[in-house]
Amino acid sequence: MHLPEIDKYSHLQSYLHSWDPRAKITSFSFLILSIVLLGKLPVALVGFVLASALVLSSRIPLRFIFKHLRWVLLFVSVFFILMSIFIPGQELYRFHSLVISQEGLQKGTLIAVKALTITLLIFPMIGTTPFPTTIKALEGLRVPHVLVQISAFTYRYIFLSIAEGKRMIIALTSRGFERKTDLHTLQTLGKLIGMMFVRSYERTERVYQAMVSRGYNGEMVTMNEFHLHGGDIGKAIFISLLGVILISLEVVL
Amino acid sequence: MRKVIEIKGLSYRYAEGTQALRGVDLEVFWGESMALIGPNGAGKSTLLLHLNGILRGEGLVKVLGKKLTKGNARGIRGKVGLVFQDPEDQLFSTTVFEDMAFGPLNMGHPKEKIKGRVTRALGQVGMEGYEERCPHHLSYGEKKRIALATVLSMEPEILVLDEPTSNLDPSARRSLIGLLKQLKLTKVVATHDMEVVAEVCERVILLSRGEVVADGGAREILTDVDLLEAHELEPPPVVRLFRQMGATEIPLTIEEVKPFILEEVLWEREGEISS
Repeated sequence: MHLPEIDKYSHLQSYLHSWDPRAKITSFSFLILSIVLLGKLPVALVGFVLASALVLSSRIPLRFIFKHLRWVLLFVSVFFILMSIFIPGQELYRFHSLVISQEGLQKGTLIAVKALTITLLIFPMIGTTPFPTTIKALEGLRVPHVLVQISAFTYRYIFLSIAEGKRMIIALTSRGFERKTDLHTLQTLGKLIGMMFVRSYERTERVYQAMVSRGYNGEMVTMNEFHLHGGDIGKAIFISLLGVILISLEVVL
Repeated sequence: MRKVIEIKGLSYRYAEGTQALRGVDLEVFWGESMALIGPNGAGKSTLLLHLNGILRGEGLVKVLGKKLTKGNARGIRGKVGLVFQDPEDQLFSTTVFEDMAFGPLNMGHPKEKIKGRVTRALGQVGMEGYEERCPHHLSYGEKKRIALATVLSMEPEILVLDEPTSNLDPSARRSLIGLLKQLKLTKVVATHDMEVVAEVCERVILLSRGEVVADGGAREILTDVDLLEAHELEPPPVVRLFRQMGATEIPLTIEEVKPFILEEVLWEREGEISS
């Protein structure tokens, strides 16, 4: 059964893979924040090129990246089209009553480029470390326990929920169910999703009981064993510098 | 013998109204392996959840000589290791090591000693080197073993298992039975698997509709076909076979059947030679 895994290529060898995840997450977050702050298209394009270079250096297969990017592209293209049409400005092209403005096109492109750049950066940031280690790193970075635990539980149980959903769909199909665009399909899928929620709720009760059985009292006690080396700090400075350069370009240009 | 668990008049009703336990009296002694059998809905799992204070009904529950209260339940959980039926409920962390370390850390054991505990517990279940594996990538049999190890890492005095062999393939089931036989702890095993009872436990409690209806030696209960059938249970296959053959002496396990067959073979050979 195919299950989505962001850390599928975390076993590869590269300077990104061998990097302390705490330093990696911190510096990449800074770079991402820098890109969020950009307002000029040429600078955003520079950011896109830098992100692409980082992705290439991560050795994660491009096919894997494109496969995951298609959904983001779909989402971004909706914004691109809407902004090009609805932001008023100098008319570039007219189709009946729809007008594509220069300002709209520019802003739409800027948003699309920034969104794609940020998504691209997720791969070298998260995809080069096993996800459990990333979660540990978040703990090491003092991210609030609740957020870390939500991530950990989601990662642990999402596979189980997907597998359970697939089994339920197989059981429906074996009793003649076919997905169509009709009310019956919607009702059936609605019931299926509802049942998945009920099962998840019951599982949470059992998981909680199993945790309490081993002494859990609402506070997570964990062991973190990360060691920051000079190289890790050097890499973090390098990635953070890219962010600083982008911000500087934004100010200067 | 030292009593490790003492239950008197325990009753429990779920919020939706189901009366799961009705005045249960029970004593478990140090070092014994006790099976808790009964049909579905008999109250086995509910009773197990009372042994470490997860559920608290009416009546007395004493563990290791102490009355179980809200205040001391957490400490008692370190002494009573409860292994749940579905390992997916027990293994919630992203690595095996984290799951194994969870109990000892909560019990306040020093961090520098946790690794040793984890390694020892993994060794006990024959899963050395699995520390960094993700639980969701393991086979069901491996998950069951790791779930058991997460409790063993707390070094409990009493091991409580809910349906330890359910959903296992024959090989994993056989291997788990072997493992349970090796563990030298007081064991309380709730199960439908009568072969597990015959091989692992020396004492059996039969629970039906929340009440204890029989308490005795494994041989006494497992060979009482009428009692078992009256409570929607079935004796082990070996017992059924020897019962149907009208045998007076009834073995419980395959191991116990061997001498009977050898005797029969030798008797037939002697007959052939003399004729």
